Amino acid sequence: MRVLVVLAHPNADSFNHAVATRALESLTAAGHEVDLLDLYALGSKAAMSAEERAAYHTDQPILDPMIAAHVELIRTAEALVFIYPTWWSTLPATLKGWLERVMVPGVALVFDEAGKVRPGLKHIRRIVGISTYGSPRRYVWAMNDNGRRTLTRALRMICGLRTRCRWLGLYAIDTASADERARFLLRVEKRMGSL
Amino acid sequence: MKTYVVYCHPLPDSFIAAVRDRALSALSKHEVRVTDLYAEDFRPELSAWERTHHLDPPQTKPEIAEYAANLRWCDTLVFVYPTWWSGQPGMLKGWIDRVWVAGVAYELPPGTNRIRPLLRNIRRLVVVTSHGSSKWINAVQGEGGKRVISRALRVLCSRRARTTWIALYGIDRASDNDRMRFLDRVERKLRSLR
Repeated sequence: MRVLVVLAHPNADSFNHAVATRALESLTAAGHEVDLLDLYALGSKAAMSAEERAAYHTDQPILDPMIAAHVELIRTAEALVFIYPTWWSTLPATLKGWLERVMVPGVALVFDEAGKVRPGLKHIRRIVGISTYGSPRRYVWAMNDNGRRTLTRALRMICGLRTRCRWLGLYAIDTASADERARFLLRVEKRMGSL
Repeated sequence: MKTYVVYCHPLPDSFIAAVRDRALSALSKHEVRVTDLYAEDFRPELSAWERTHHLDPPQTKPEIAEYAANLRWCDTLVFVYPTWWSGQPGMLKGWIDRVWVAGVAYELPPGTNRIRPLLRNIRRLVVVTSHGSSKWINAVQGEGGKRVISRALRVLCSRRARTTWIALYGIDRASDNDRMRFLDRVERKLRSLR
């Protein structure tokens, strides 16, 4: 399978980067073709620009060549893996803004004649989210885990009927021991190996 | 009422800009401070330094001082933005990521993972937004953007803080008349705030 891994954490020595490294190793070892987008390292902008917004409903909604390259990766991918820290119950701005800038009409969705959204990502067979949370699981649940819902519901809705979602969360990371982190990395390795 | 309006849309001729103008006119009898994130060219990406120092005192982060002061000053916080991918635009999310930090919005006592709220001065959160999709689709998607504010941010505010949600669903297929009626609703709702 062709897998696109999207990582959004500002620190290159973060635990999220360790997760991405482990996921990449495991996916490659399992024989998948893997591309990684480290959004911070690429300098990906979190804000859709005025020009991009003005172009959104036109035939040419993509203006940034880097975004165009990312769109090509999305078009050929069969699985999308998102790795990010949950901040304020949802995606970091860098990941949220990237979604807005790549998931434009003609790529992720098509507006039909009545103005209704039709799916554009039917070729995506798997969506995987891997997130770290400052809060314990119960608290995350009470807050509605909005980042997870954005990916497994809003994004899922523009995929095919048979697209499946997987979720891996490390909760209460501020008080997680080295052992708990190591076990989480092992879970990431196993899940990615069996994708 | 001390009202702080945070506005986020890249285009000055957008419908959301018209919504903001109507909201501000409805709030004109109150003290109002406004932040226009795109006009101020706000940088929404939380930096590596900010991440490493996310628990340091806010005095070390002069770039966010004015926003932080507005948050500590207001009793009513109003967000005006378009909902994209069921949530706040990256620009607004970045403002939350960078401004709602330790020492401004919360404290994290060492060795714990439960935060202590610092914005008890805010007794009402108001959201004025538009959704491309219908109310039903948004319900199925879990209303992620709504819950970020009515849950994740609200717990940092007054214990009795309430959320007022003013949304135009299905804007992609809304008629001019629907839009005009929505502007009237924004004005009416904001005028009735106490």
